[in-house]
Parts: sequence; C-alpha cells; structure tokens
Amino acid sequence: MAAIESSLSPNWTMALRSLWADATPVQRFALILGVVLVLLAVASPLIAPFDPNGQSLLSRLRPPLGFERAKPGYLLGTDELGRDMLSRCLYGLRLTLTLAALGSVIGLCIGGTLGVLAGVAGGRTDTAIMAAVDTQIAVPFTLIAIFLLTILGHSIEVMVFVLALDGWEKYARILRGETRKLMQMPFIEAARAAGATPLRIARHHLLPNLMSPIVVQFTLSFSNIILLESTLSFLGLGVQPPTATLGAMVGAGRDYMPTQPWIVIAPAVLILIVTFAVQTLGDWLRDRADVRLRPR
Amino acid sequence: MKRLLTATALTALMVAPAFATDLNVAAANVSSYLDPGRDHSNVGSQFYFNTFDPLIHKDYSTAEARWIPGLATEWTLIDDTTMELKLREGVTFQNGEAMTADDVVFSLNRMYQATFAPYQVRSRDRLENFAGAEKVDEYTIRIMAKRAEPLWETLLNLQQVFIIPEDYTKGLTGDPMVAEDSDYEAFSLAPVGTGPYAVSEFVPGQKLVWTRFNGFWGDKAPLDSVTVTRVPEIASRLTALKTGEVDMITNVAPDQLALVASEPDMHAEGSATALFHVMIMNMNHPKLKDARIRQAMSLAIDRDALDEALWLGKAIVPSTHTMKEFGALYMPDLKTFEYDPEKAKALLDEAGYDGFEITFDTDGVYYTNGLLAAQAIQEMWAEVGINSRIDVDPKWTGNDPEMMARNWSNPMYFADPFGSFGVMWAPGGPSQSEGRFNTDEAYAASWDRFRYSSDVDTRRSAYAELMDRIQQDPPVLPLYQPYESWAMRTGVTWVPQAGHIPYVLDFRAGAITVDASN
Amino acid sequence: MLRYTAITLLRMLITFFVIVTLVFFATRLSGNPIDFVIGQGITEDDRVLLTKYYGLDGSLWTQYLSFLRAFTDGQFGLSFLERRPVAVIVAERIWPSTQLLLTSIALTMIVSIPAGILAAIYRKGWVGSAVMTFAFLGYAVPNFVLAIFMVLVFAYVLNWLPVVGNGTALHFIMPTLTLSAGLIAALTRFTRNAMLDVLGQDYMRTARAKGLPESLVILKHGLRNASITVLSVLGLQVAATAAAGSVVVESIFAWPGIGDMLVRAAVNRDYPVLQFGVLTVAIAVITINTVVDLAYAWADPRLRQAGRA
Repeated sequence: MAAIESSLSPNWTMALRSLWADATPVQRFALILGVVLVLLAVASPLIAPFDPNGQSLLSRLRPPLGFERAKPGYLLGTDELGRDMLSRCLYGLRLTLTLAALGSVIGLCIGGTLGVLAGVAGGRTDTAIMAAVDTQIAVPFTLIAIFLLTILGHSIEVMVFVLALDGWEKYARILRGETRKLMQMPFIEAARAAGATPLRIARHHLLPNLMSPIVVQFTLSFSNIILLESTLSFLGLGVQPPTATLGAMVGAGRDYMPTQPWIVIAPAVLILIVTFAVQTLGDWLRDRADVRLRPR
Repeated sequence: MKRLLTATALTALMVAPAFATDLNVAAANVSSYLDPGRDHSNVGSQFYFNTFDPLIHKDYSTAEARWIPGLATEWTLIDDTTMELKLREGVTFQNGEAMTADDVVFSLNRMYQATFAPYQVRSRDRLENFAGAEKVDEYTIRIMAKRAEPLWETLLNLQQVFIIPEDYTKGLTGDPMVAEDSDYEAFSLAPVGTGPYAVSEFVPGQKLVWTRFNGFWGDKAPLDSVTVTRVPEIASRLTALKTGEVDMITNVAPDQLALVASEPDMHAEGSATALFHVMIMNMNHPKLKDARIRQAMSLAIDRDALDEALWLGKAIVPSTHTMKEFGALYMPDLKTFEYDPEKAKALLDEAGYDGFEITFDTDGVYYTNGLLAAQAIQEMWAEVGINSRIDVDPKWTGNDPEMMARNWSNPMYFADPFGSFGVMWAPGGPSQSEGRFNTDEAYAASWDRFRYSSDVDTRRSAYAELMDRIQQDPPVLPLYQPYESWAMRTGVTWVPQAGHIPYVLDFRAGAITVDASN
Repeated sequence: MLRYTAITLLRMLITFFVIVTLVFFATRLSGNPIDFVIGQGITEDDRVLLTKYYGLDGSLWTQYLSFLRAFTDGQFGLSFLERRPVAVIVAERIWPSTQLLLTSIALTMIVSIPAGILAAIYRKGWVGSAVMTFAFLGYAVPNFVLAIFMVLVFAYVLNWLPVVGNGTALHFIMPTLTLSAGLIAALTRFTRNAMLDVLGQDYMRTARAKGLPESLVILKHGLRNASITVLSVLGLQVAATAAAGSVVVESIFAWPGIGDMLVRAAVNRDYPVLQFGVLTVAIAVITINTVVDLAYAWADPRLRQAGRA
C-alpha cells in the first residue's frame, strides 16, 4: 500500500521522481505523450490556426501539406466541407478527452459505489443491484443510446450521460466480484471481528486492494468511451454537426477512406495515441498499485 | 456456394447455351416489402418496373411523354369522365395465370376504391379523381373519373396502378374469394406481375432475386437472373465492384466518381434525377410567422455554390419548382427562388430578427450529401446573421409544430408538376395537414385550375400563380435536382433513363447489355 | 449448488420480464412509429388510418397486454415494415450472427489467453511489450476504421478476400478479425493482469519451492486461479459484442445478422421486431452470463460454498 500512499501524498516532487525512476522507457514516453495531449487539448483555442467550423466550399478535400493540390497553411489538409483538419483535430481532441473523462468518472462513481455496496451488503441489496446490471448488460447498448438520445435530445450533456451509462455496469460487476473475494479474506474477517465499521473496512481494507481493477477498468472505460462515441457517430447518433470530436470525424469521414483517407487517418491516429497513453499509464499505475508486484 | 454455382451454370448450359447472363447488384438499400400500390419510396421505386406493367407504357428513353401500349392496346375517351381500354390478349402473370379484365379491374379498384389503409393513403394524394373501374367484357374495361381528367395517360402509367393478379392475391390468406388486408400484406412478400422478370427470392431489407419470365408478352428479358443485395457502406460497394463480386452498384456519391473514373475496369453512369432535395420551413412556427424571415432564409442560400462544391456542378439548380421532365409545363423562365444575401439581410432587419436560433433538422444519411448541405446552409445563414443549429435525427419532424426548417425531397412521382409539387403542396395535402403550410381560397382556386384544366396555357398560368404565392410566403426552397450515379464493371452497359421516375433499375430489353465473357 | 442454480435461473426470468417491459415503455416514449414507418407527408386522416392499421390506437395498457399476448402465439407479432411474423425475421438472422460470434470467440480465446500469459511472465521483457502493444492496437482503433481499412487492403487492392455476405469460409475472415480485435485486446490485458495477481500469490511460491517445473506451476495453479477473472471478463465482453458490437461489422460486410436488424428496427421504430429482437439478444447474453457465473462458481469453491444472492 506504500506505493499508493506515497503517490497520493502532498510531497509531489518526491512521488513524481520515484514514479519516473521506476518507469520503463515506454511508460515514460506515454507519460510525456499524455501530458502533451492534455496541454494540446487545453490550449486548442489558442493554437488552432483556423475556426474548426469555418468552411471553404471551394477548397474541399485538400490533402495535407506536401501532397499535390495541398492548400498552403492547411497542415493536415481540409475535410469534406473545406474545414481545416488540424483545427478540427485539436478541438476534437479537446471535446473527446472531456467526454471520455467525464463519462468514465461518472461511470466509476455510479458503478463503483453500487458494485462495492453489492459486494459488502450482499442479500437483497446485492440481488437488486445485480438485476439492474444484468438488465443493462443484456440490452444492446446502441439501442439504449438511440432511445435516450431520442427521448432526451441530442445535447452534449445527454451525450455525457449516455457515455457514462455504458460503463457503470462493468465497474459494478467487476468491483462486486473483487469485493466478495476480498470479504472472504482473513484480514477483513479479522477487521470485522475487531468491530470495524463497514465504511472503515471499505476505506482502509477494500479500496486499496480494489485499486488495481479500478485502474484497469478506468483506462479501458476511457478508451471504450472514445470508441463508443465513434460508433454512435457511425450510426449517425453522435454529437451534432458541425461540432468536432475525434469519433465524429472518423464516423463522418469513413465514406472518404477509399478516396481521401487523410480525413480519417488524422483523427484515427489521435484516437490511437490517446488510447496508447491512457492504457500504458493505466498498466503502469496498476502494476505500482499492486503491492505484490513491488520489486522484491 | 461453389456447388450452387455449378448447378446454375449447368442449368444455364442446357436452357440457353449461348447467352447465360447473371447480374449481381449491390444496392445501398433493399425494400422491406414489394407492393407497387402502397409504395412510393425512393428505395422501392428501384424494384417495380422489372416485375410489373402498367396499362399504358411510355417511351422511357426520353423525358417527353410518348405513350405506347402496355397491358392495354388502345384507349379512348367515351365521354369527359370515362375511358374505355382494350386489353392486350395472351398476357400471362408470372405464376401462369392468364390476365383478364377481372385482374385489371381488381388492380385498379384496389387503389381507386381502397379499403386497405396503406392503399388509401397512396390513393388520396394522386388518384383522388378516379371513381372506379368496371369490366365490359373479357378484354375491355372502363375507368370512371369524377371530373374531367387532363392527365389520363400519366395517371394510368403510375407505379400505383401496375397490374397484379386477382385470384392469386385473394387466395394468399383466408377466404380465397375475398381480398383481405392480410392478402395484400402477403402479396408484398411474394409479388407477382406480368413483367419480364419474376421475383424468385425476396428477403425483405436484404436481398432480391429476379429470374427471367419466359412467358412475358413483350421482348424477352436480356438477363437470366439478377441478384440485388443490400450493401449499405459505400466503401464496401465500391470494393465489391472492384473485386468482381458484383457487376453494378447503386448510390455512388459525387465525391467517389473520380475513383471510379480512375479504375480501368469500371465506369459510372449518372443523371440529374427527377427529384428535388428541398428545404422546408414551417409557416406556422411562432417565430417564423413573418414571411420575411423565411424569405431571408431562402435568399441567403447560395444554391449554385452548393452545386459546385458538393455535386461538382452536375446537379440542376432550379429557378422555380420545375424540371424539364414536366414537358409542356416546364417553366424555367419563372424566377421564384434566387440568391441575394443583401436582400436577405435587409429583410431580416425589417422583420426585426433578434438572432433567435433556427433549428435545421436532417436525417444523417438518407439524402446524398444532405448532412453536408445542411452544414453549408448553416454557414451561409451565418453570413447574413442567421443563428442556427443542426439537429440530426432519422425521425420525420415535418409534422412537429416545433419544427422550424428541415430537409426533405419532392420526387417526381409522375411526369407532371402535379406529380411533384402538386402531390406535396396541394390544398389540404400532406404539407398543409402536417401544419406547416397554409392555403386560402385563392390558392385553392389556382390549384384547381392547374390540376384540372384541359388547356395547357391555363395550367401554366395557374402554376405561375401558385409559384408567386410560394415566393411571397415561402414554405419550401428546392435546392437542386441531385446528380445520382451508378457504377458498373466494364462490359455492363446501362444508363438511368430520362423517362422513368427516379431510381428505377430498368433491366428490360434494350435498357441493359451485359457481355457474357465474364 | 442446486440452490445456487435455481436462484440463478429465477434471476434470469425476472431480468427477462424487466427487459421486456422496459423496452415496451421506452419504445412508446420515443415516438410514434408512423413518423418513421410511413413518415413523410401524410395527411391527418391518413395518420389516423395507419395508427389503427398498425394497432397503435388502443391505450398503452391495451397495447401492453396485446404485446405480452404476442409472446404466446409463436409469431411474436407482425413487423410494421415487412408485415411478416417477427419470429421468421429473427430466425433468418440468428444463425449468421451466432456463427460470427462463435468464430470470434474461438479466435479470441486461441490468441489472447496464451498471449496474456506470455505478457505476464515476460512482463519486463520485449515479449511482454510486444504483446501488449498489439493488444492495445486492437483496442485503440474504431472497429469500422479497422474493417474498412482491411476491406480496402485485402479486397480492393489485393483482391484476396470477398466483402459481401456470408457465403463461404473466406467471407468469415475479415468480419471475424474485426469483431475479435477489441475482444482480443481486452481479454489479453485481463489475462495478463489476472496472471500477474496469481503469480505473486503465496501458493505459487510454495509450488515453486516444492521444485515443480515453472511451466507446470503456471499452467496448473496460475491458469486455474486466473481463469476466474478471465471467465468473468470473457462473459462480459462476449455479451457486449453479441449485444452491440456486431452492427458495425454487419453493415460493412453486408452480413445478414441481428445487430443490423435491431438498429434498423430501433431507428424505424419497428416495435414488434425491436421488442422480440431485444429479448432474443437478452436471452443469449443472459445465458452466456449464467453459464459464466456457474463456471465461476465451479472454479472458485469458496464462492460455491458461500452460495450467492
């Protein structure tokens, strides 16, 4: 548990230094990448060369600089309405990271609470929560999304809610399983026998041991949400145009893959990079969080 | 699969050794049902012409109305409202039944005196003037109109009055002597007509197989069989054509034409389709009641720029709700719709537009380039100061009082302005009864003259009056006739013909040739 | 064990009922199918006519009852669009979907369990990194981008593989790869992590200390214990794929499967197809999960003894 406590302690420089020292080159690379992506996203209004929604109908589908017919000043070319790909990618990255972060945090809060509750409480509470989980798992999520978006409208807020809803049942199911497993462990039984309150057990004994599955599920969920958003765009259910997200750009651009592939390649590569950074960092944190894997 | 192919090849060898030709088509969409009577969708229109015949055919190679005998060999008006038709003898349906006057009367009256709800709906907007049909003898029938009808041939050439077999249809379910609703429902899954291709397999929404009908009364079908499969993704359709899995594909967007042109073993054919993509505006929305706001919305849209950018200049931008397929009623001189951003700004000022948000609803995929056009329109509106938001939803919102503007299409259901503008914008018609379009007595009077006058000039001037009304208080802006393309492998020769309604896949004799080398 | 099985089955039934009811009311909340089925430009009179024709004119309660009744006649109602029994439509599509799901599960297990074990054992080495990089690639690319990319490379350019439909074994290759990519990525990661958890456990050290060969230790103790986590993840992932992931694959490869049917039914508000289609998928998913649950209990005696729920 030492690892977690140290990384959460106020002594940030120490913690970071220890993190860095412990990392493989790939992990260091991912960390830098993650920082750069977040900075780009935050700064996108400042660094984007053009209005992401500004069209130029007479210079549609221009390739990136360096190719024939490229349009000066448009580094990554233009899209199907003559909008600057680079600006759209930057703004898209910003919104995509926001959606994914909000979606996975909300999903974690709902699912994590319910999962641990089910695991600790057992009995009727467990049955009820798991029935809800089973129901959600058994109904194709695209359908849930279609109905929610029709009934509640197509706003960004609804989109966040829909994206969060896709993840909660996974947290719940996994954390319930892990909690149940832990509840059988001698040290928790001992704590209970010693009269610790459920809340104390949860905080001091469960949570540290649940960090590993939480982190893994969080990183999966984060990339999952990015992909889900692109699938919704594929089905015409994503964020409303002209708003750019990476998923929406890929979804709307797919018809141009045979002819103007850069329209899809740029946002797809960004999705790839984001996912790579998130998952590598996730694996790293997970390994560090897992006390058994500390260097012996 | 392989064995199946061998078996087919063997059969083909025995039956028609020289010209065994099968065509595979990948279509963006395949109908959910096949009944020409109740259908007027763009998807459905693709499939009826090969299987069914009307009483009166036309020369489909030209946009002009040249009527030629179909299942009727001659037709004469015996008074203002009655037409007598001699039926072709020796016609058989694809199930072997001989076609008689009973079948024809049954087919016509299933629409004219419809009892089946989907027929009633289709009948009301275009066949309202027909009272019924009756048998005179085995090969003679009469059709009675309610009022003198200027468009007899046109309205007997319609897909809705294609001829179907009576006994077969009635016998599909329940009592074989009675036409129940369930008979028509069953018919739409196993349709039978008199055309050159029989539907030999139909999986709704997925696949359709036509087989040559050797008992066809006219020129024999040039193909042994045609298989149409639904392949919704354009990348997959193009690839299937390239690999040779299919011989022909539908719905090639203008942006893909360069790719097709660059491939030596395929080519594309297209035409500006007899259909308008339109923008409709809700006259009765509280914020759009002032006609000047809607005029500005219309004036702000540079349709030529849309054509140049999205359609490579191949679409047709109309000056009024007219297209050359209308023949004598084609009126390109009328200037109902134009691009004038300065005037748009002035009108917005006059009307006191305060920057409220106008929503533009669109389906994400239904109209080629529809979503792109919506976004371009949003930008053009912004140029004149109109603030807007796009709402993408497959739901039809044309009947929603909250709807402000959205895209739609006004297809030409038959070659007359009545078959396009007339169906959609009639007094009491769909647009009005959906609550987004108003008419008054003067409009109705003009409409009546346009619809029923037997004098072409009267019809023209009445139509001009209607267009004038549309200009003053606009409910609609026709954007363009989209340029629709099909691509096929080298060796397949097919073009969309000007005499057809939009999207018809005509594989009859003379319409397609396929070299058998493949 | 018997009690546990009985409780699991009862839970399944309750879930079915909840789903069926939820779907019924969700569909009714989300719009009148007339707007989708016939849709554009019909007069008010005609709306009334069609509403009656489709049996949508009764009160919500009447409709709900007739909906429940439809489950007893073996047809499950008529599709609004196609006007044929829903049972026929679903039956047409269930086998192609199942085939694709089975090939994908098979491929996933074959690839990701060994890969996950390797990645765990060689955690710090290049093998581990390589495996995890590939696993991550499968997860990081939207599956339709992967699918269209494969279509363009293997069919358009190279002309090795067919694109349309499910006619031959060759037709399975690209759809299976597309559908498996995400599954393989997820399962490899989870297998790796489960193995890591297990490798650090005391009994593994004990086993090693007893001098058993490393590979035997890993296979016997490691896999056995890791399988608990792996199973539960597999169940979840397969369920998710069965339920949602296939629609993209089906529309790109013109695969006549159930995902495509469901999404089209949902978009068009073809209630009868949608309702029964959702139920069919739910049955499949819940069955998979129940089997996994039972396997879970079998693999972990502590849970079995404790009983659940």
